[in-house]
Amino acid sequence: MKEKIGIVDTLEERKPYITRKQEKGQEIPLACDNNSLAGAISQRACVYSGARVVLNPVTDAVHLVHGPIGCAGYTWDIRGAKSSGIETNRTSFSTDMKEIDVVFGGEKKLSNAIDELVELYHPPVIFVYSTCIVGIIGDDLESVCKTASQKHNIHVIPVKSEGFKGNKSDGYKAACDALKRLIKRPSRDEIKKKGPRAPETIKPKINILGDFNVAGDVWLVKPLFEQMGIEVIVSMTGDSTAKAISRAAEADLNLVQCSGSMTYLAKWMQAEYGIPYLNASFFGIEDISLALRRTADYFGSEKMKEKAEQILETEINRIMPEISRVRERVKGKKAAIYMGGPAKALTLIKGFDELGMEVVIIGTQTGKKEDYEQISYSVRDGTVIVDDANPLELAELLIRQKADLMVAGVKERFIAYKLGIAFCDFNHDRVVEFEGFDGFVNFAREVDASISSPVWKAVRQRILIPEAMESEKKSGRIEKAAVEERISRENYAKECKGMLLKPEIRGCS
Amino acid sequence: MTKRNYATVNPCVMCQPMGSALAFKGIENTMVLYHGSQGCSTYMRLLLAHHFREPVDIASSSLSEKGAVYGGRENLKKGLRNVINRYNPKVIGVATTCLAETIGDDVPAIIREFKEEEGIGDDPEKDIIIIPVSTPSYGESHVSGYIKALDAVVRKFAEKPGEESSVKVPNERLNVIPVESLSPADIRELKEIFDVMVGDYIFLPDISETFDAPLREDLPKIAPGGTPLSEIADMPNSQASLGLGIVSKNLAVKYLEESHGVPGYDVPIPIGLSNTDSFFTELVKIFGCSIPEKYQKERGRLLDAMVDVHKYLYGVKAAVYGDPDFVFSLTTFMLELGMNPVLIATGSKSRDFEAKVRQIVEKINPELEPVVLNGIDFDTLNDAVSQCNPEILIGNSNGRYIAKARNIPLVRVSLPIHDRVGAQRILNIGYRGAMELLDRITNTILEATDTFTAPRQAEPAAYTEKKSEEECVEGLR
Repeated sequence: MKEKIGIVDTLEERKPYITRKQEKGQEIPLACDNNSLAGAISQRACVYSGARVVLNPVTDAVHLVHGPIGCAGYTWDIRGAKSSGIETNRTSFSTDMKEIDVVFGGEKKLSNAIDELVELYHPPVIFVYSTCIVGIIGDDLESVCKTASQKHNIHVIPVKSEGFKGNKSDGYKAACDALKRLIKRPSRDEIKKKGPRAPETIKPKINILGDFNVAGDVWLVKPLFEQMGIEVIVSMTGDSTAKAISRAAEADLNLVQCSGSMTYLAKWMQAEYGIPYLNASFFGIEDISLALRRTADYFGSEKMKEKAEQILETEINRIMPEISRVRERVKGKKAAIYMGGPAKALTLIKGFDELGMEVVIIGTQTGKKEDYEQISYSVRDGTVIVDDANPLELAELLIRQKADLMVAGVKERFIAYKLGIAFCDFNHDRVVEFEGFDGFVNFAREVDASISSPVWKAVRQRILIPEAMESEKKSGRIEKAAVEERISRENYAKECKGMLLKPEIRGCS
Repeated sequence: MTKRNYATVNPCVMCQPMGSALAFKGIENTMVLYHGSQGCSTYMRLLLAHHFREPVDIASSSLSEKGAVYGGRENLKKGLRNVINRYNPKVIGVATTCLAETIGDDVPAIIREFKEEEGIGDDPEKDIIIIPVSTPSYGESHVSGYIKALDAVVRKFAEKPGEESSVKVPNERLNVIPVESLSPADIRELKEIFDVMVGDYIFLPDISETFDAPLREDLPKIAPGGTPLSEIADMPNSQASLGLGIVSKNLAVKYLEESHGVPGYDVPIPIGLSNTDSFFTELVKIFGCSIPEKYQKERGRLLDAMVDVHKYLYGVKAAVYGDPDFVFSLTTFMLELGMNPVLIATGSKSRDFEAKVRQIVEKINPELEPVVLNGIDFDTLNDAVSQCNPEILIGNSNGRYIAKARNIPLVRVSLPIHDRVGAQRILNIGYRGAMELLDRITNTILEATDTFTAPRQAEPAAYTEKKSEEECVEGLR
């Protein structure tokens, strides 16, 4: 019966993108990795945005947007990525193309803008992002950047991020292509030497790929490796500098966290420089433990393995009382996950498990087939999996799946709030670290704070009915329970007229 | 001052499509669709959600490479079809982006074609009205996007195809159309005034409910509220139009006057004493009504408040920035309070801004020689701040970098305000708004200059682990 109606009321063309994990392994493969459907109100942004979010945390770069003012304005300092030093990346630079530039071409203006900015900011690198109209009018960014590079003797790197040429994932790739140009090629001998080696003789070096230091995440992760005797050359791109990125090829190993954006770069470094990579996550006790152990295993030193175990023991003992306290308060609650990239979604499943919570909806903007397979493997039966969801789908899913908390970004926050559902921002807007051991404590506390707030109880009764209040006052406890029953979320969901819940479903819920 | 001619550093404007959304979202049962690549709608949704703290659904035709090469016709049609299917709106505002404009899509023609294919007629009673507006990001700013969208809406509803000249059925109504987006609180205040003074009026656009929706029993797909369509269609029959704003040209008011003979009166956005006075005076002039006791009292309270704070504010150097008309009205109020707006700036390119601002300065405080800038970015504003040394900044949240770096307090007004709550509830308009604004400015100055020191504690408090709830309760007992 349910299958005929579909999991959620949506456009015919969107249906293949939504599935439910089922008991007998008969689930239909999820469609994904396509351009968004016109008029469906995707939560995704564009190619430029994909490139911008990946590169923006490079702290000492001038990020120059070659295009009309909007593209630069809306991305001004939105990443929440912290810097330990210079903060050039928090300034918004644009060529502010006008009609005249569109008609006569913007190359001259761009090259003049680069000259000006070099003189004012003396950056070691300028990333020049192309936007939609640049792709149409055909400004030759490659040649302008090359000339400027030679003239000023700095890196001026074109980022091929025309908004319409693909989706956000293509932007990630454009960003990686730009980063490739910054990385200095090691000598042939150096490349040959790569591979596991004894850390007693040489200090092992790693890069962390796909950590953007939002709210200072990296600062809680780096020390863990340093304690193990490993040098973290650079985190890409959180709190990175052009100089640190240029050294990336010196690493013995890459740890890839945000796989959606950085696997491409990691694979390239493996092919070009012989640097292998491991996927890792620094969120949640299980995933951090895995990351440290796998890294130690990779380098093979017993001393390092011991050190890793020692760190894990101390840290887990340190945070466990607080995690257990929160777990007691939130266990059994249902979580909905809607993330930009699949890596974060996957690690969140484990994180919620550690808090005793159950994931009932999971979706991403840019997941690929393999990612969804892994997600499907990791979640319980009955969980809804969705690619490139839109607000109407999300709202209906939140109600149908009876979610207590949603983890997503700003655009989703107010959907949850309107439905009276707790929310936790795991994107650019958060102000506390979620990675590392203390980060997981922060996350647990935030989940608790949102779920346990008394406001949800207040918002269940959205219309004041004086009679109900009066009778509640008179007859005390028994009557009070009856009132609560009447205004529970289940009933609210049923009454959710705007959501167009099908009558059949009402019976099922 | 740093000389830059080519690069824009920290933009002080948003782009045209953004302005169009602010206008369209104030119309009953309306959806907005951007004809362009997916990012535009997402970015603007993000900005609006940050500011209003509401869900904001804006569709996109999601143009891909294929669309960019062969034209966006199919994408636009598909987008419209899907929006109709899922949201069932009465109106769809289709704003172009730079991509659609640059590839040269003839949007009105595509819409005509779409309507034919789908059998959508022109009867506002039963048909979906699709309103195209040309708003490339490379032209002007969000201010012009807003004005153009309103003009397009009024024209769409006023022009009745097939009828040579629509029959005018004059009534006593008043059209009210601001040139810049006002806060939901501002609009609620204005509507209250019109309810009392005019009775019958049409306020376009009305975001007081759509962008500040109460939590209700259901979650409608399109937020209820907005100017009713029947009222917009009736605008050509009104007795007069009141345009709020005198710096930017109010295209809709002008159109109603020139094409439908509805006399238009433009007054400054009613911020501060004299601007609110002219606003009420204009209403009295048009309608011959009297000013209710309620507002005389509010005016009296404002005067009382101005007297109370005059010493705190006299001679305080201020910098104000934002949209042209908002800044003009704010400047007037600051001059009335005895403040010295030494730096007055707008990010939009505005032909009349400087002249109008200088006029009002000349009128109220001719000794003051402010720096007046138009079409600037925040980097230029920063340079001007270092030159003018204001003691307080008044403008949107994006001035926070300057405020922080220079340790100057910032009073947040206008849009965007994404780093503080309550943007939708900030009231600046009318006598009440003036009082609230005056209190905010004065208290900010007092906070910054406050010399109060708490008595020294005997011992610094030791850091203790956060106690559990039970322990805290226990402690209280």
